[in-house]
Amino acid sequence: MIRLVFRHLGAEIKGLLRVPGFLIPTLVFPSMFFLLFAAPYLKTPEAANQTTAGFMTFAFFTVVFFQFGVGLAQERENPWSTYVRTLPLAPWVRPLAFLGAGLCFALAAAGVVAVVAALATPIAPERASVPGLLAALVLGAVPHGLFGIALANRTSAKAALPIANLVYLLLAFLGGLWMPPEVLPDWARTISP
Amino acid sequence: MGILSGLLHPDRGEARLFGEDPHDWRARLRLGVTPQASGFPPTLRVVEILELVRAHYPNPAPVAALLERFGLLPLARRYAERLSEGEKRRLALALAFAGNPALAILDEPTAGLDVESRRRLWEEIAAFCKEDKSVLLTTHHLEEAERLADRVAILHRGRLLAVGTVAEIKARIGLKRVAFRARQLPELPGVARAERSGDRHTLYTADADRLVRALVEAGVAFYELEVQPLPLEEAFLLLTREESA
Repeated sequence: MIRLVFRHLGAEIKGLLRVPGFLIPTLVFPSMFFLLFAAPYLKTPEAANQTTAGFMTFAFFTVVFFQFGVGLAQERENPWSTYVRTLPLAPWVRPLAFLGAGLCFALAAAGVVAVVAALATPIAPERASVPGLLAALVLGAVPHGLFGIALANRTSAKAALPIANLVYLLLAFLGGLWMPPEVLPDWARTISP
Repeated sequence: MGILSGLLHPDRGEARLFGEDPHDWRARLRLGVTPQASGFPPTLRVVEILELVRAHYPNPAPVAALLERFGLLPLARRYAERLSEGEKRRLALALAFAGNPALAILDEPTAGLDVESRRRLWEEIAAFCKEDKSVLLTTHHLEEAERLADRVAILHRGRLLAVGTVAEIKARIGLKRVAFRARQLPELPGVARAERSGDRHTLYTADADRLVRALVEAGVAFYELEVQPLPLEEAFLLLTREESA
């Protein structure tokens, strides 16, 4: 059964890698935002560290949120997933593969941000903080995943994408992932963490 | 079909697949199902989809043989989204047989197939059944059922109208139409359905000879007698109409 999880994971990743419309927004957009809006203003290693971590978080959560919100909504309406349920496989195999594929792309998206930051900013990561960041990414992804599932259960596949965009960009802004909460407008600062 | 392939729960009663609950994946190890042809992962290749499905079975059919049997050899490297409707249908059928199942469930297998592919599928099904394996298929074509099936079940509006061998079904719906004019009719044998307008009677029966003999023996003064065979399709319609009336 574990072998089948990897089979489905592999098929999912292979299929998505061939869709530029998925790959580019996922892997390129967060780094592009970072390069355009953040990198030029990061003069000190401390600022670079903090903002890079913020954008990595943004990239990671984006993939998780969209994979669950939009991906699941599409998956539910997809005749292929109905067919897969008739195959002899335990019911948890496909959700696990789905989750795995989401994590792989989320890590890749965060990785691209890290690489861009290393090239374009005076970032000076402390080795000891890396595991902590990764743990925060994965743990923080849980509510985003659940949030995505909630969205997927309430919307059709077509509506899920625009709604997810709207909700997500607003949340990222309010959460201070792009700009530190201190520089946000007053009304936003009161609800930002 | 949905219940047998583990997708739905029955409203009432119980379904068993090889004696087990179809919702248990182990029961489905010997089952093959056709997917809806519209839904393949668009960016996977034909051969990748076949490999993925084969991986679920302990003793799957070889890929090369599957490609050959369903006319997919020249399409093996093609993305699913680039397949024509007929090609998708053939891939869907290949998937039902990919795991070397003991039972293949095919939903309208020849819908959307060209004549040659349909012939090949019929041969494929016949060969499959010779190996002591079973196919459960749905069709709207009585001709197809007659050609392929050992047992036929006729469903109409969710109710089972008739089950039996092809010969039994044909005996049931292989009706003749006996029309004539007469004033009064006695009780007559083997009449499946009777219509009357004025003194014009139309009777449907499986055994027209016996009916006419009975008319003569009863001394009915009938005239303008006509006996016509009823095509299967029409007989089938008659059965279903009777049921819903």
